[in-house]
Amino acid sequence: MRRPFLVVVVFGIALTLSAQYQDRFKITWIEPGSGAILPELDAFDSVEGTLGVVNASGPVNTEGHPFFTPLGTNGRACVNCHQPTYGMSVSVEGLLERWRLTDGKDPVFAEFDGSNCPGLPQDQQSSHSLLLKRGLFRIPLPWPPRNADGSPKPVEFTIEVVRDPTGCNTSREYGLKSADPTISVYRRPRPAANLKYVTSGGQPIVLKTGTLADVDPETGKPVGMNLMSDAREPSLKTQALSAIMGHEEARVTPSREQLEKIVEYESQVYVAQAAHIFGGPLAVPGGPAGLGPIALRDHRAGILGDNDYDPVFGQFNSWKGNDYYHASVARGADIFMFRQFWLRDAAHINSIGLGNPLKRTCATCHNAQMTGQDLSAGWVDVGTTNYPTWTEPSTWADSSELPVFKITCVRDADPHPYLGRVIYTTDPGRALISGRCIDVGSIVMQQLRGLAARAPYFANGSAKTLREVVDFYDRRFDMKLSDQEKEDLINFLGVL
Amino acid sequence: MRFGLFIVGAIVALAQQRNFVSCPIVRDTKTVPCFLAEYDGETYFLGIQQDITNDFHPPQLKHEVLVEGAVAQGPRVCGGIPLKPVSISVLKEVNLACNTLLPAEPGIEAPPAPRGAGPSSRSSKAGAAPRSPLSGRQEFTVLYAFNDDYLEFGANQVVTEAVAYAKRIGASNVKVTGYRATTILSNGERLIEKAGLGEKRAQNIATLLRGLGVSGVAVEWRNEAERGDGQTDPSRRRVTILVTP
Repeated sequence: MRRPFLVVVVFGIALTLSAQYQDRFKITWIEPGSGAILPELDAFDSVEGTLGVVNASGPVNTEGHPFFTPLGTNGRACVNCHQPTYGMSVSVEGLLERWRLTDGKDPVFAEFDGSNCPGLPQDQQSSHSLLLKRGLFRIPLPWPPRNADGSPKPVEFTIEVVRDPTGCNTSREYGLKSADPTISVYRRPRPAANLKYVTSGGQPIVLKTGTLADVDPETGKPVGMNLMSDAREPSLKTQALSAIMGHEEARVTPSREQLEKIVEYESQVYVAQAAHIFGGPLAVPGGPAGLGPIALRDHRAGILGDNDYDPVFGQFNSWKGNDYYHASVARGADIFMFRQFWLRDAAHINSIGLGNPLKRTCATCHNAQMTGQDLSAGWVDVGTTNYPTWTEPSTWADSSELPVFKITCVRDADPHPYLGRVIYTTDPGRALISGRCIDVGSIVMQQLRGLAARAPYFANGSAKTLREVVDFYDRRFDMKLSDQEKEDLINFLGVL
Repeated sequence: MRFGLFIVGAIVALAQQRNFVSCPIVRDTKTVPCFLAEYDGETYFLGIQQDITNDFHPPQLKHEVLVEGAVAQGPRVCGGIPLKPVSISVLKEVNLACNTLLPAEPGIEAPPAPRGAGPSSRSSKAGAAPRSPLSGRQEFTVLYAFNDDYLEFGANQVVTEAVAYAKRIGASNVKVTGYRATTILSNGERLIEKAGLGEKRAQNIATLLRGLGVSGVAVEWRNEAERGDGQTDPSRRRVTILVTP
């Protein structure tokens, strides 16, 4: 990281941290197979200050550990895209640094999905532009979607490629009309941390659809369906297997022991912002109880926030009246939890019996304590991918980098509740798995922890900063946030 | 004489019934928004924003709504004549003309809302009175909105209860029957649910029951839409689950 000034500032702050974080500050990209001991309590530079990482089971030896060891053919391991430094995801800043240091040879840039499309000249940055500008990996998905036994699922819409900047969706080899019809969408890797929260909340019937929830194939129990942006994998183990066979291009199925060791490691990692360059250590006695990774380690998962007595991220009242920064964070917490606006036209929120519009707050959807995910299966069309609210330019722009698909729903299917039967989208989201028209553009919301360490944001990496995230919601829901309110919200999100 | 009284009663009930399709109107208040609809020159109050555990599920802008309700006694609420009980069916097709959102006005207040704006672990629905344990042959009825097979929260709970009961008694037979129905509007028009909906509803419920571990599930459905009477039509949009020990 070439951020000498910031590094100096952050290092100075790091030295003032509570004892548990002292002497832990460093900047580290873990290379697969490099072998190291990861401490129980770790801390890393981030744009806003210091990210704290807790290995709840104690120090982790990465030597030979399947999370840190390539199991496939392209040199990648899980850690390539889930780096502790970047909140167990990966940031654009980190990816650009890896490109510079390795001249694009790092396995994170693997041709299969670390480039815009296989077949492009791999030595050129432009062939990896979505990864280097937005942190997006290619996710090739079969069309039509398939059942677990490989049979095609019934689908409620046709899909056409309208615009294909990467060339992958119209490719004869990799595209929709190839021998193995495939849709390529481009998505951010989700943080492989705080997972007891992410995997909690499994109910037999999905509230949003009235259909059976997916079940863990090993236990037969229903799962929360909040793990992936399209909920396509039911468990950490199936996700790990899929990632190894796909992202790592393995030819041999990993062993049960390897998968279990990966899940065991992921399940005990907690990440959260630990200190802020202006605010100092965040998890301090008398402060908000939900901050810092240790709070995540110790809190119970699967709890619905209640604004009246037990909010989503705890009480911030003790910071009101403090210095400017702490008071701003406390105001931001209040905005997140209490500032009402008209929440409208969001499929799988307004359309599930709550009414449209709904006078509620950010915390209505981001309701699970400690992570701000949805406690029920959380796919929602908040408008990031579907025209006209999508995050891309609303009028023609040569700079648009994402593919655009035209979805046409069949007459006897339920239409998308707010866009009808013809939808233009950069990512159909859950619909690529369910085949349902009502799911077009619905993306599973993700946790809000460790945000400062892992820009850019949204599943499509369109928001370079937290300011751009807040701006999107302000526009989308006509929140009419003042500049002060935006700053407060950004400061609040930055301490999570 | 009794028959005559019955006829008079039915006429009075029908006179109090309001079945119509229109665009909903959302009115802000100091607290939660009210949901209204206009019919035949009059404004009716349908309900307020609550949460999904409540029996009243508000309509949606961008969609017409089928309202089936009875005029309730008492003053106007939120500027509208209250309908209670009231059944709300959001019609599926998008209608961009349905887009009326009114600001709050002094003097127009929503009834007390049991919960605030953020998430709440407390349901807005009062706790149900404890019931004595079920026994013997039991029929569970899953109700639907018009032309819909979506399982709303309350219907979801009915299925969950049926599953628990069937498992508890080790049911020998579980018969699922799906129906579609007719609604008679106040202007005399008939709305008939789409063909095949009875089968779809029944198959969906059977899939849920089997997936939740109930064995011996038999499925049937009625192809013909049930006739309406303009008063109890919502009760015929249903699936019945007959659980036999």
